[in-house]
Amino acid sequence: MSNDRYHTVGKSILRRGAKERLTGNPIFCADMEPENALYLKAVRSRHPHAGILGIDVSSAMSVPGVVQVFTAKDIPGKNLMGIINKDQPLLAEDKVRSLADPVALVAARTPGAADLAAAAVSVDYDPLPAVFDPEEAMAQDAPQIHAKGNVMVQKKVCRGDVTAAFDKAHTIIEKTYRTSAIEHTYLEPDAGIGFPDEDGTLVIYASTQNPHYDHKEVVSLLGVEDHAVRIIQAATGGGFGSKLDMNVQGFIGLALYHLKQPVRYVYTREEAFLATAKRHPFVIHMKTGADETGRITAMQMKAVCNTGAYGSYGIAVASRAAVHATGPYAIDNVNLECTAVYTNHPFCGAMRGFGTPQMALAHESQMDLHARALNMDPLEIRVLNGVKKGTVTATGQVLTDSVGFQDCLTAVQPEYEKAMKGWLSEPTPAYIRRGVGIGGMWYGIGNTGVQNPSTARVAMDREGQVTLFTGCADIGQGSTTVLSQIAGEALGLDAMDIHVVVADTKYTTNAGATSASRQTYISGNAVKQAADKLADVLLTEAVNYLKIRKSDLRLENGRVFDSRHPEKQVAFSRLAPRILDKGGELSWQGYFDPETVPLHPDTGEGIPYSTYAFACHAACVEVDVLTGETSVCRVIAAHDVGKAIHPENVIGQICGGVAMGVGFALMEEFVPGETISMNDYHIPTAADMPCVIPIIVEASEPSGPFGAKGVGEPALIPTAPAIINAVTHALGKRIYALPASLERVLDASIASGHFNNCYQES
Amino acid sequence: MTTMTCIRPENLDEAVDFLHHHGPDTHILAGGTDLMVDLRSGKHHRPYLLDTSRIDSLKTVQISDDLSRLSIGSGVTLTRINTLPLIKDHAPALHKCSFTFASRQIRNMATIGGNVAHASPCGDTIPPLVIHEAEAVVANKDGNRNIPLLEMNKGAYQSALHPEDLVVKFILQARQPGFSDFQKIGRRKALATSRMSMAVMADKDSQGCISFIRFSLGACTPTPQRMHDVESLFTGKIPSVKLINQGAGLLAEKMVEITGRRPSITYKEPAVQGLFKRMIYPMVTWCRQ
Ligand SMILES: Cc1cc2nc3c(=O)[nH]c(=O)nc-3n(C[C@H](O)[C@H](O)[C@H](O)COP(=O)(O)OP(=O)(O)OC[C@H]3O[C@@H](n4cnc5c(N)ncnc54)[C@H](O)[C@@H]3O)c2cc1C
Repeated sequence: MSNDRYHTVGKSILRRGAKERLTGNPIFCADMEPENALYLKAVRSRHPHAGILGIDVSSAMSVPGVVQVFTAKDIPGKNLMGIINKDQPLLAEDKVRSLADPVALVAARTPGAADLAAAAVSVDYDPLPAVFDPEEAMAQDAPQIHAKGNVMVQKKVCRGDVTAAFDKAHTIIEKTYRTSAIEHTYLEPDAGIGFPDEDGTLVIYASTQNPHYDHKEVVSLLGVEDHAVRIIQAATGGGFGSKLDMNVQGFIGLALYHLKQPVRYVYTREEAFLATAKRHPFVIHMKTGADETGRITAMQMKAVCNTGAYGSYGIAVASRAAVHATGPYAIDNVNLECTAVYTNHPFCGAMRGFGTPQMALAHESQMDLHARALNMDPLEIRVLNGVKKGTVTATGQVLTDSVGFQDCLTAVQPEYEKAMKGWLSEPTPAYIRRGVGIGGMWYGIGNTGVQNPSTARVAMDREGQVTLFTGCADIGQGSTTVLSQIAGEALGLDAMDIHVVVADTKYTTNAGATSASRQTYISGNAVKQAADKLADVLLTEAVNYLKIRKSDLRLENGRVFDSRHPEKQVAFSRLAPRILDKGGELSWQGYFDPETVPLHPDTGEGIPYSTYAFACHAACVEVDVLTGETSVCRVIAAHDVGKAIHPENVIGQICGGVAMGVGFALMEEFVPGETISMNDYHIPTAADMPCVIPIIVEASEPSGPFGAKGVGEPALIPTAPAIINAVTHALGKRIYALPASLERVLDASIASGHFNNCYQES
Repeated sequence: MTTMTCIRPENLDEAVDFLHHHGPDTHILAGGTDLMVDLRSGKHHRPYLLDTSRIDSLKTVQISDDLSRLSIGSGVTLTRINTLPLIKDHAPALHKCSFTFASRQIRNMATIGGNVAHASPCGDTIPPLVIHEAEAVVANKDGNRNIPLLEMNKGAYQSALHPEDLVVKFILQARQPGFSDFQKIGRRKALATSRMSMAVMADKDSQGCISFIRFSLGACTPTPQRMHDVESLFTGKIPSVKLINQGAGLLAEKMVEITGRRPSITYKEPAVQGLFKRMIYPMVTWCRQ
């Protein structure tokens, strides 16, 4: 859709907050230094699984500079946290379940004293047998981590008759895929500060993706009234899902409650690595059947994901994994099951894609295996099977609008063909083999089959100044800019002319989590609704003032004018007092909850999401057959985002997603108990980045604000499968476990014969 | 957290004198790219930090009049190694290693002296220094002594230096070889510790036979290694694919002899052969030119 009809939507305006960041304003918690702030430090478990017989804080208390050492018994409210299922104590009570578990919290005048005291806390542990492998944890006699058993949840999606379909299938492919635990490695380690307000309110600034959830959780931990706690999201240097959990917020709340004095807690990179959520490692058994034309007729999928010691977002990961297992393909007969299991690893939680990136490795590998078995082109088999308008998904949902998967395939095709025909056959040194691979994906916007509303308020003052109040945490992706554009468009204002109040529980209402790629779509709609209500009030008053019917009136540049005679106009600042003086309302609330239907517990039938994003990536790689080094040269990334409200932001998400996908594909692996920091955990550097060619596809979503959906998580999902398919194409040998490290790629090269045949003896 | 006193001597004598009195209580600080990491991890607590960055005499690079000996001050940064024509011409493999060393920011700080003194098996300057039969000139109150590079480390991260010792410079057998290279394998393209590295330089005679060759393997073994057997295999021969395959096999065998079969050998045994082949194969054409 052309951007000309829009005033600000579709334009890459200057991002809100850019200036503050570029000029180094103290907007991040680590840079905020309230006077006389105490330093907090958690004491963490020394055992992956152990009973706690006693905690002795006396020698810690005698360290000079120590103000207080807290244990579980100091928590006045409910010592239990978790956004979906509550299973995680702020401070361990009777036992520890992983090396990350906090058992005590020190408050001291200096960081040094806090460290010394933390080391001096003596805990009497009774070590218990531990279990780390999720499949072992499911055994009858496995050590029990939680009273309810080690199987946290099992999610199923069934449709059609899988057995019959396999019986009739022409080709059946059955494989097992494995993915690694991943650390989010956001730029800014978790941080927060807190202080008591003049009226005694406990004010907490935090690096967070969900201030309103933090608020609920701190209130519950402290057992206080809602108004006793105020959470303000500080500038947040990335989150990728890990800042959806309570990382420092609870500690700050606890210390503030007791000490009534400013406190701060800034994780070191090491603590952020140890103590925050990881991406769930998956084991995926997938079996698919195709007819002789390449149409996939059946899929059976059984996955086990390791949620570690606590649930965090694990239940959401399991259900999303089951729902997304088919990928963006129409498969009539499915039997899909994902089980999330507790182990004694540090907990896993949300990370960009919630289980979908793991599933995409499996379904995209299967697609290529079928294509190969039938001698089809990988793009062709995806076109054949790809969802379209009218496709019925595994959960029985009919896709009616904004189904842009085929458009994404079409969009990458020219570059893909160029690579296959030209680039592949260019001369290279004998030790380099080139490959081209495709990865497709779909991603449901918002939470799976549950209500997940957002609210917003748009208010105009007597002078005509508009302020947008939103609880939506901008974590670097630019939601505040996009929401301002949406409000601006509805009111005919420049986005920058709107004041914003963002993610402050004293002034904003709940917008839900900045996760599930939901904020542009869901909060965008809430904002638009509020702005539309305000616009309507202005128009109504303008009718009265200008004596022109509403349908001829337009809003632009802070005024209402007659579209036929633009000189007939009235400024908002004139309308506002007139409305107020008549007792009218200039402050409007918006609310949007996407239409979903809860999934049936046995069959998964229902409507998990009201809309989906789609994407296709093509990756061009070079593999060194002698060493296993892999270079990703080029990624062509087509994304159906419905409508790009801010195209540069979309491109930023795509490029960042590709970077994360390169890491997931080739190098990232968090090994609990071994991985300590960025010294031994490798994420891609600029030198590892391919040339990215982003392509924005806009299959307009009727229920979206100006047609928009989302892109945050989709950006990452197709990259790793595209790279793995490209490496396979290069070597003629497939890798089934991520990351495709030096070791795994060299193994594949040896197995394929390329290692030995690289240089021929004459 | 402990406090440290930072000493900034203006010349070598002051530094040596301070080390004479406080050596065991002192960390020598050059670029700090290893030391700051170690200090932060809490591995060491010594009361003094001796900052060598103001000592100009540690930063000189000189070639002897007969062009046989190249002297590189311990305080020379990797950025300078990357840009100085003298090093590019007379120690080309050392020059080459500076391209893939860490990142530009680290190279601006990191010194060759720190790289060697840190005694990490993965130091990228080590194989190039070994093929130039480098010696470290080490100063202390008793005067200067020379330590061959192959004797600098007692084991992984165990330097043969005494706490009173300051590395002043390295003396290399300068050479403008017909063929030279440095290659490494890391887990990513920048800011990656070498999993494996190697350096070579060679000359040929008029028949295309190898008349001179030096080869060193890095990062795979606890201490620096010059691979004499590999050198002997090539000497006097015209490189062929067959010879290179043979050399690769021999290299792997020698490596396993030194390290034994640890789990990482599953990768290193083939990879060392692969990297060797990749690096040496161009010799086949070069010798036939
Ligand atoms: C992100 C990152 C990436 C890196 N990548 C690489 C890489 O690719 N390749 C590589 O080889 N290394 C790499 N390193 C390691 C490091 O940069 C190098 O080893 C560097 O050469 C160390 O030099 P420096 O001047 O910083 O030494 P410092 O850290 O100052 O000192 C290192 C050690 O040497 C001692 N020392 C220093 N100077 C002297 C002297 N004159 N006499 C006696 N002892 C001395 C110090 O006391 C200390 O023990 C990397 C480091 C980082 C942080």
